[in-house]
Amino acid sequence: MIGRFAGRRYLAVAAGLGIVLAGCAKNAPQDTFQPAGSNARKIDDLQRTLFYISGVVGLIVFGFVGYAIWKFKDRGQDLPEQSHGNPKLEIMLTILPAIILAVVAVPSVAAVFELDKKDNDCVINVTGQQWWWEYDYVQGSTCGGVEITKSIVTSGELVIPADVDVLLRITSRDVIHSYWIPKLNGKRDAVPGRLHTLRMQADQPGLYTGQCTEFCGLSHARMRQAAVALTTADFQTWVTNQTAAYVAPEAGTLAATGEGTFQAQCSKCHQVNDLVTADGTPILAAPDLYVVSGAAPNLTNLMTRTAFAGWTFDLITDECRNKLWNADPADFGALYLQGVTPECYNEANLRTWLRNAPAMKPMYADPAKLAATGGKTRGMPNLNLTEDQIDQLIAYLLERK
Amino acid sequence: MAAVRPRSWRQLADITIHESAPVHVDDHSHDDHGPGGAHVTATGLSNNKMAMWLFLGSECLLFGGLISTYMLYRGRHGSGPGPAQVFDIPLTSVSSFVLLMSSLTMVLAVNAAKRDDDKNTRLWLMATALLGALFVGGQVYEFTAFYNEGLGFTTSLFSSSFFTLTGFHGVHVTLGVIMLIALAAIIGRGRISGDKAEVVEMVGLYWHFVDVVWVVIFTLVYLIPA
Amino acid sequence: MAIIERPSTAPALFGDAVARPPALVTPTAAMGVFKRPVSSTGWKSWVFTVDHKKLGIMYGVVAMFFFCVGGSEALLIRLQLAAPDNTVLSADLYNQMFTMHATTMVFLFVMPMAAAFANYFLPLQIGARDVAFPRINAVGFWLFLFGGLFLNSAWFLGGAADGGWFMYSPNSSPLFSPSHGIDFWVLGLQITGIASLVGAINLIVTIINMRAPGMSLMRMPVFTWMQLVVQFLLLFAMPVITVALFLLSFQRNFGAAFFDVDKGADPLLWQHLFWIFGHPEVYIIILPSFGIVSEVLPTFARKPLFGYKFVVFSGAAIGFVGWGVWAHHMFASGLGPVSVAVFSAATMLIAIPTGVKICNWTLTLWGGKLWFTTAMNFAISVIVLFTIGGLSGVTHASAPADTQQTDTYHIVAHFHYVIVGGAVMGLFAGFYYWWPKVFAKMLSERLGKWNFWLMFFGVNLTFAPMHILGMQGQPRRMVVWPTKLTGEGFFNLGFWNKVSTLGSFTIGLGVLLFLINVVLTTKKGAKAPLDPWDARTLEWMTASPPKEHNFDSIPTVHALDEFFHRKYEEVDTDAGPRLVKVKTGEEVLAIEEAAGDSNIHLPSPSYWPIVLAFAFPVIAYGVIFNLMVSVVGALILVIALFGWVLEPSVADETDYDPPGNGNGYDPPADGSGPTKELASIG
Repeated sequence: MIGRFAGRRYLAVAAGLGIVLAGCAKNAPQDTFQPAGSNARKIDDLQRTLFYISGVVGLIVFGFVGYAIWKFKDRGQDLPEQSHGNPKLEIMLTILPAIILAVVAVPSVAAVFELDKKDNDCVINVTGQQWWWEYDYVQGSTCGGVEITKSIVTSGELVIPADVDVLLRITSRDVIHSYWIPKLNGKRDAVPGRLHTLRMQADQPGLYTGQCTEFCGLSHARMRQAAVALTTADFQTWVTNQTAAYVAPEAGTLAATGEGTFQAQCSKCHQVNDLVTADGTPILAAPDLYVVSGAAPNLTNLMTRTAFAGWTFDLITDECRNKLWNADPADFGALYLQGVTPECYNEANLRTWLRNAPAMKPMYADPAKLAATGGKTRGMPNLNLTEDQIDQLIAYLLERK
Repeated sequence: MAAVRPRSWRQLADITIHESAPVHVDDHSHDDHGPGGAHVTATGLSNNKMAMWLFLGSECLLFGGLISTYMLYRGRHGSGPGPAQVFDIPLTSVSSFVLLMSSLTMVLAVNAAKRDDDKNTRLWLMATALLGALFVGGQVYEFTAFYNEGLGFTTSLFSSSFFTLTGFHGVHVTLGVIMLIALAAIIGRGRISGDKAEVVEMVGLYWHFVDVVWVVIFTLVYLIPA
Repeated sequence: MAIIERPSTAPALFGDAVARPPALVTPTAAMGVFKRPVSSTGWKSWVFTVDHKKLGIMYGVVAMFFFCVGGSEALLIRLQLAAPDNTVLSADLYNQMFTMHATTMVFLFVMPMAAAFANYFLPLQIGARDVAFPRINAVGFWLFLFGGLFLNSAWFLGGAADGGWFMYSPNSSPLFSPSHGIDFWVLGLQITGIASLVGAINLIVTIINMRAPGMSLMRMPVFTWMQLVVQFLLLFAMPVITVALFLLSFQRNFGAAFFDVDKGADPLLWQHLFWIFGHPEVYIIILPSFGIVSEVLPTFARKPLFGYKFVVFSGAAIGFVGWGVWAHHMFASGLGPVSVAVFSAATMLIAIPTGVKICNWTLTLWGGKLWFTTAMNFAISVIVLFTIGGLSGVTHASAPADTQQTDTYHIVAHFHYVIVGGAVMGLFAGFYYWWPKVFAKMLSERLGKWNFWLMFFGVNLTFAPMHILGMQGQPRRMVVWPTKLTGEGFFNLGFWNKVSTLGSFTIGLGVLLFLINVVLTTKKGAKAPLDPWDARTLEWMTASPPKEHNFDSIPTVHALDEFFHRKYEEVDTDAGPRLVKVKTGEEVLAIEEAAGDSNIHLPSPSYWPIVLAFAFPVIAYGVIFNLMVSVVGALILVIALFGWVLEPSVADETDYDPPGNGNGYDPPADGSGPTKELASIG
């Protein structure tokens, strides 16, 4: 009876492996087995080999164990010889895995050094903080041949030219985070006080999602990101748009009222480039006075992005998001550069956020509990805005393209 | 068929072993207690001493971790005073010398204990404790002076790691002093159970270890410039 | 329970007893205030015990309790992850839950459960009557219990630790984790750390020094060997985490700057310190289980462990190489390519001795006469499950692949296959194997089989899908996982998360069956014979349960698998030589008992271990809430230490129940009576 069970177990293990091989999700956005760039592909080649070798070794072991269970079960045979082993066999069984591992080790070590190369056609600074990523395109640099005429500071979506070797310079403003776009490369930790680099390259235009992968506190699960690859021409368009001069809302519109509300409520922390007060004084956000990390997302071009608040909540509807994520590489750029269009705009998320941000995404923002930080928050506090103010702000923000 | 339980591992070879027909060799001799009261062990080493050696091995890693932390952080004193500003090498050299001398008196105490000379054992134990206390006093003086020069525990990475490392060592010395005094008192009142010489030797092992650690700390922290 | 046990036949048989050298005069009289406890029944006989067997049982019971706590936390975690964007737990509670799940399972279940087996069986396996330092053994248990309770009391005092079990700085600093949770975590681990350290010293000395005559190192049972390696790992790993914990608590409680990045601190310092401890810790968790499996397989295969020496040396090799691979937990931390390459290669190296073990176990089965008891099933499942965990480990020994896999569910799958599939299943093999020896009752095999198969399928259902989840991009430590990232198709990540949750409850059911099995057999189980499995090692050559002094006479060891060779002899038959059972276990034991020692020394119970251990949580509460409380704790500590040193080495002869000379035995008049001088520190 036990033998029958053992046979079943062997079958179950084989079936289990079959399911593992056949049972993967289709089109998972962060599937490491579907690399979309040279770095990730290098890793994928390596790890597939490892999985195949491991699988074969595993099957051999299971085969032997299964056979032994079936063959040598107690059928009333004599007591076996009390043998203590066979040194020759042992040595062979020690050398064999050593050889396999040596075979694996060589390409691994080679890949370590290759993935550490610093050659690039574009450098972008990436800074993590609780619980979002900031990207900084340095003024005067070039990225895939496109000149960055004016500093671009954005968040959530890393926009890069496709088929260009990009080097990210990664650090953090508070705790350790880890930058990961699975389809483009492995992870690299963002460590405060240290600067790490990570190669990025995408073969095709498209959107590649990612997630902070070093546990970074309360809202770690809601610290996401994406890399958006565009053709060089589209990237040029994007850069031009990001560096364009500020366009104030038309006087008398709701958005114009919203600009005032924004100045009163939001601009302490959130920068909108070139924003000026009524008397023409430039407004500079000073998040370091209010937030532990000393930074808050730059909202100059909020509506060119598809999600907000640590790239967690969509600015566009599910339908539009699916269309964008699954767009053909040839059509992707045009679709992405539209930004948040009226027909795609996801009203509910932004409105709920403005009503009470900490209720939507857990943050340390309760004024009563900020003794340890001298009153500074981690994340955005509840601003207790009225519905009118929210309407005004939304109208204003929708023009930030 | 009674056989004497072997006193050392080497003697085991003398026991005849019959694999096919096991002959039961019993331990009926009950000579568990050696002349000094120590148990006969499989290796012939005393349990207590082996335990102390193992403990000291573990302590090496403890101080290893603390020293590594200090070495990493000793240059990071920010705007606060750095090692070069606060260290008073002559003073620390003198207290280091005092601690080294205490190892000598400890050796004398162990020797006296082995001769079963209670009077001198206590004398040298107390001398060792006194020298140890002097060292701790020197450390307290040093810490106070540093504090007055603006080097508090929380001032900088250098200060935190310096005070932690030397503080841990100081606590070890202090515990050693307490052990020495207690031991001298217990010997004086004749209350020691077990092998007296061995107990003194074990405290001695601990004491020498603490000394050796100080030699390393003194060299790395004070003598080699950051 | 008389402290000094005297087989009644002994004086008659051994007339030479009076001729032995006089025992030391013990200073009992001078110590009137410090009597030793003598209760032989009731709660006092447990609370003040220094008997390694009672302590082993207590370790086991408490560890099992924490297993249930940690298991419940796991089930809550799985419930939260069963559906995308689920709301069973808040983010805050979820973070505490996974932190405490890991901490509880590692420090309060697997380690102490291994300590339970070590405590109970090491002295028995090496033919000793107790450990080298019985009182230190007791203090270790109480420190573990109090430390564990202290750690978990955080739940009721403002929230448990929420930094993940490796508690990376600076996220663990008061700025980023303002609740007291991490303080409880740090101090609780310090307390259990002391327990591990003193336990390690005690067991190493016991193994090296207290072996029975003839028990050379290469005749020690593999479980003893693996425990020896583990205790050395503990000895050298605990001080490193101690340093890290001190640095962290000095920062959190006294304002030190160690992990303050603004002052120039390097957050990687914590990672190095933690993993220099943390990687040996992995082997501390797994090796005891390897030892158990190496005992169970030969017993039920009815042949010696294949390649005993290779298994022993590979265990020792794991112990050494385990120190050189810690940075493979940090491949994404930015160490630089040279370090990464070196640690990557070293990590692959450690797969070799592990592979040796798998091969040897398989070859132990080969050609055997396999008896599929529940214990055997669990042991075989360790081979299978640990192989899966080991092989997925090889996939991330390669550093570039690891940068994709680390901090995802693939890693979670890997270490759960290793820890649950390897360590926990191994411990369950130990439960079923040794239960009859400890409690003299047979656990129901029928319930046991159900228990096994539920756990076996449960483990695979829970953790196999996690390989897919991780490789397809689900990171660990996520309170929510949104629908938009689960992919398409029937086998999307949402589906696998549900399967995993289902599996976790299957495991839970299996564990529940074990508990039911325990309750039922305790009430009306069959009385176990002393050698129900026809086993091979010395611990079976004792009564069930073993007498307080373990062995009436200390056995002399002639061979590996001594007990087996006393039962079986090779007999020439017409068909060549055959192994024939010439004696039953009972007969072997009877021979031993007939030649029992007349004068057995056992340590007396003591009040001080529990008092000493109790001082530590008091000090720790003081550090968190009010330093005056710490002063009280320190006072208790000082009193306990002096009580410890000054208590008499034996209880007064007249204190015993029954009185010392009530057994028809008169102590010799020259004072050489049955006394036991305790070592001054033991």
